[in-house]
Amino acid sequence: MHILIESIGFGVASGAVLSLGAVGFTLQFGISNLLNVTYGALMSLGAFLGLFLLGLGLNIWLVMTLGGLLIGVTSVAFSRGLISPLTRRGLKPFSLVIVSVSAGIVLEYLIVAVAGPATQSYGNLSGTTLHFWDFTLTTSQVTILAIAVVLMLGLHLLLTRTQLGRAMRATSSNRTLAKSCGIATSRVSDIAWLISGTFCGMAGIALAITTESFDFTLGSLFLIPMIAAAVLGGVGQPYGAMVGGLVVGIVTEISAAYWNPAYESVIAFAILILMLLVRPRGLFGSGSARRLLA
Amino acid sequence: MTGIAFYGVVLLVYLGTDLLAAWGLNLEFGVSGVANLAYIVVIAAGAYTYAILTLGPDTGNGGFQQYVLGLHLPFGVAVVVAAAVGAVIGVVIGVTGLKRIRQDYQAMVMLVISLMAATVVGADTGFLGGQPGLSLIPNPFSGLGGAAGDWAYVAMVAFACVIGFVVMRRFTGGPMGRALRAVRDDEQAAAAMGVSVVRMRLLSQAVGGAFGGVSGALLAAFIGGWSPGAWAYVETLALLTAIIVGGLGNDFGISLGTFLIAVLLLQGVQFLPEIRAHPGLTEALGWITLGSLTIAFLAIRPQGVFRERRPRYHLGDPVADPAGGGTGSAMTPPR
Repeated sequence: MHILIESIGFGVASGAVLSLGAVGFTLQFGISNLLNVTYGALMSLGAFLGLFLLGLGLNIWLVMTLGGLLIGVTSVAFSRGLISPLTRRGLKPFSLVIVSVSAGIVLEYLIVAVAGPATQSYGNLSGTTLHFWDFTLTTSQVTILAIAVVLMLGLHLLLTRTQLGRAMRATSSNRTLAKSCGIATSRVSDIAWLISGTFCGMAGIALAITTESFDFTLGSLFLIPMIAAAVLGGVGQPYGAMVGGLVVGIVTEISAAYWNPAYESVIAFAILILMLLVRPRGLFGSGSARRLLA
Repeated sequence: MTGIAFYGVVLLVYLGTDLLAAWGLNLEFGVSGVANLAYIVVIAAGAYTYAILTLGPDTGNGGFQQYVLGLHLPFGVAVVVAAAVGAVIGVVIGVTGLKRIRQDYQAMVMLVISLMAATVVGADTGFLGGQPGLSLIPNPFSGLGGAAGDWAYVAMVAFACVIGFVVMRRFTGGPMGRALRAVRDDEQAAAAMGVSVVRMRLLSQAVGGAFGGVSGALLAAFIGGWSPGAWAYVETLALLTAIIVGGLGNDFGISLGTFLIAVLLLQGVQFLPEIRAHPGLTEALGWITLGSLTIAFLAIRPQGVFRERRPRYHLGDPVADPAGGGTGSAMTPPR
């Protein structure tokens, strides 16, 4: 029982990072309808950017905010400079996936070209270990958890309480209709890419804080559980991705505790394939989510 | 054998095995339209199959590596079995692609399959050698020794390519090729014309998989080792770039593309001087160029250097293919 509760604690901690990444991924997918594989490479870029900023002597939480915003801007540039022009040229969704895989590889090896292929580390930032009940978490894990909760709440308020959020939801559910209702969809889409990129960069840095060491493949390896989380909650649905991230985090940590830890990502893979084949709408998917998959 | 001559041998073997792989992937992707981003998995399956069928029991050599099976089969048999295993795995991968989900989702599933296969094989040391992989895989011409053995291997790869080319032409040209292309271009129209879409898709997956299996077996036997590092998912992208640059669905184009991308670009960067302060820089430059090329071609010239050659029909022509009959000749002239 002790192991179970302890691994649920780990699961919530890693699920927070997963949710952060998955929400960013799904938000951007909902708006642009593109399966953006470059997202993983952008996460790695975030982690390396964080390393650079950390080297300047900045506080780690400032690094996380700053790095996140920088990746957000990069993400808008990626959408404006590459994805939108190609979509306008009428590239098929599959060709766009190949473009995003290629762009991801270019980005990853640009990191290698600048920072080298060696593994990197932020050093020990975990702080003190906290115990309550059977949970064992470090202060940095708890802080990341808190940041994730605040960000999700912020996104929730943005989506439900503001004009911009309504415009975003409208664009996500039907871009053409939203446009003909007078919503500036390209501006809304830019903002969505900015938020998604910021979440992506922050998740990358949070991941780098919580792992002992990382290299340029950090993000693309994390992409599988992240997409699993997004698909589990229903692609394009931020709330689904939050829950999906927690579920995938907890399930993988429990399986790692009771089974071979090397197979941790296999669980995420199994969840993803199963969901895609059995219920591609996701657990909370509605009819409009089905449209995305048809 | 001098260093240059040996390097020539290596390049020729790489070219031959890459050609087989690119032809196989083109059958799946370029001809029948199955978005197989997991193609490197069938190549790996061929390589591992060949290895465990020829290495003998894993207790040999002091048992320093572990793997399942471990037989002493002759080279030819092992390659044929590798082709069969490649075909079966190709079909299994293809079945997930049959599900009616969006093509980009399909691509995603394939990509994930590729990543996960490498993770599972790497994690389980007892299955196929785990992360360190397998070594001492027997070369069939090691008895000849030195230069003679190396050139004999090149000749054998060339022979395999000739057979592969003849087989491929059976599928890319003629009634079969037209049926496969019809499935790729318009599934419903092809089905309405009496082409069995499922059968055609799985057939192209099986044949493409067999090509990959042979390619992997020949590569593993030449290198003598095989590990998860040899089949990262980016390797599929290298083949895909060769196909996109050369010209999707054009047999000559993809052969040229394979030479340019897989051999000239990815091997060529190794001739650049290695900068001591930047290890891995030259390899990184190769992949950066590769990714940029793919994007540039998809954006500017998606049909590739050599566009796909389509049979032309004219009003009043006699039936273009009297021997074809059956499904293939059911194609009507484009209006």
